[in-house]
Amino acid sequence: MVFKDVVKVYPLPSGDVTALDGVSFQVDRGEFISVMGPSGSGKSTLLNLMGCLDTPTSGDIYISGTRIGDMSDKELTELRRDRIGFIFQYFNLFPLLNILENVTFPMMLKSQKAVDPEKGRAMLHAVQLDDNLFTHTPMEVSGGQQQRVAIARALINDPDILLCDEPTGNLDSKTGAGIMDLMTELNRNGTTIIMVTHDPNIASYSRRTIRIADGRIVE
Amino acid sequence: MLRSALAMLGIVIGVVAIATMGILGNSMVLAVTDSLRTVGDSVIVTPHAGGGGMFGGGGGVGSVDLKITEQNFQQIKRASAPNVAIPILQTSDRMKIGVGSEDIVAAVYGINPDDVPDLMKLKEGDYNRGNSGVIVGSKFAVDNNVKVGSRISIGTDGNKGTLRVTGIIEERGMAFDVMTDSAIVVTKDWFDNAYNRDDYDKVIVKVKNLDDLPKVKTAIENQLNKRDKIVDVVDTRKTMESIFQAFGQITTFVSAIGGISMIVAGVSILNIMMMSVTERIKEIGIMRSIGAQRKEVMAMFLYEALILGVVGSLIGGMMSLLGGYAVSTLMLQTTKYLFVPSSLISIVYGVTFGIVISLVCGIYPAWRAANLNPIDALRHE
Repeated sequence: MVFKDVVKVYPLPSGDVTALDGVSFQVDRGEFISVMGPSGSGKSTLLNLMGCLDTPTSGDIYISGTRIGDMSDKELTELRRDRIGFIFQYFNLFPLLNILENVTFPMMLKSQKAVDPEKGRAMLHAVQLDDNLFTHTPMEVSGGQQQRVAIARALINDPDILLCDEPTGNLDSKTGAGIMDLMTELNRNGTTIIMVTHDPNIASYSRRTIRIADGRIVE
Repeated sequence: MLRSALAMLGIVIGVVAIATMGILGNSMVLAVTDSLRTVGDSVIVTPHAGGGGMFGGGGGVGSVDLKITEQNFQQIKRASAPNVAIPILQTSDRMKIGVGSEDIVAAVYGINPDDVPDLMKLKEGDYNRGNSGVIVGSKFAVDNNVKVGSRISIGTDGNKGTLRVTGIIEERGMAFDVMTDSAIVVTKDWFDNAYNRDDYDKVIVKVKNLDDLPKVKTAIENQLNKRDKIVDVVDTRKTMESIFQAFGQITTFVSAIGGISMIVAGVSILNIMMMSVTERIKEIGIMRSIGAQRKEVMAMFLYEALILGVVGSLIGGMMSLLGGYAVSTLMLQTTKYLFVPSSLISIVYGVTFGIVISLVCGIYPAWRAANLNPIDALRHE
């Protein structure tokens, strides 16, 4: 993933807000990067652009050599579905679906038909969740278990890149450490991980840290 | 859930309103068709009443001042040849059935015996050929316990004479030509003698080829109304067509009222779907972020609207049968017109309209959901 002089400006009635101001960097396959910076520094904007949820005002972003500014909404959606996994601070699971259904939902989006739940079960086992939880709804399990479900969902379509927005921000430190161990294991197996965090302890799990302030990379 | 149920209830009410009104309208048309037994094969000529109603004012029993003269009748006969022109005399009089019974008042028709079989059929007995007999209407027979062979004394204290009942006429309902159900029919000669008449109250022309109806009507009008308007000429087929057209318009009108309630139900579905989109903005954001296409989000909301519409409309369709049964029983005192295809099609229309309205009202919320910005949607709390 390559960012070249990326600028993102949000036009607001009170005046334009520059969230990213000429950001350039490269993420190689298999890296584990944390993005740190104070609130309003542009971390989330950076993550949204990496996740193809948004396009830059100027500059270029390439994923596997493809410039995302040239892609249609449909192509960007397919890229998100097939090659990028998202993990959110507040888990963002579907409250009415059970845990197994939550995990297999992206598979269904990809195949456009009913899916074999076996892969979903295997993925839930991989994130150390027991079978007896699979039919529960997200509200019936703990925060740590919900985040494991979210990780399983993010990985179900075998993405190349895992984007994590404060993945442990809503968990106690012990549970957070468990999640980070899991992510380290995933990275060891070849998944590129880009993680936004405030917490230096969590950032220490990554192999490289990008510090950002006022829309610019400072370190 | 409760909101969806209430929106569905709106669709149920809309479908019931449309379908029930359609059933009622159609049943009314069928009921009128059944009671208007006269087939549209006659031209009815009545004295011109000057600004009268549909039947020219001459149709009422006992119209004494306005008559068709023998000369007029001959003109009508010539104008309508080779079709049969039947002169009709009519009045009302006191009469008594049997000995010691109360006087009653009923309509009396005087018709040439040769013409009677052209106008009416008997359900019992024989046509009256002589001046001592009479045939009576079916309701008259039932109301007054009259049977073939009964004797009827006509006039005050029977001063016009006593006649023997030779036959009972089949029920004819509300007819344009002669309404015999509660009347008696005597021979023209007896009527002439009894009431000292040499003119007619109306003339009925039975047209053999229905396509000739307008031609016969025009010929009579040209013959008699050349200078002054002497007679009113009514083409029964055209009159029936007008009546059915009017009923059709009434049915359309009442169905349109049902349609308004359906549109109100549609607006409530629109409202529910908009609220559903607002409540699920975050969920939509998650879906979009993990790879749901716009069209998939749109389809999800359209399916919801469709499910509300289909379930509501089908329940409404079933309840329309009950509604149709209730209004038919209350307003027409019969349900025999409920299970006929032309009534049941109203339910199909109502159900179809309900589904279409639900789908149409689901389009905008679904479009809005599909076009939400995924980042804004994800941030939504």
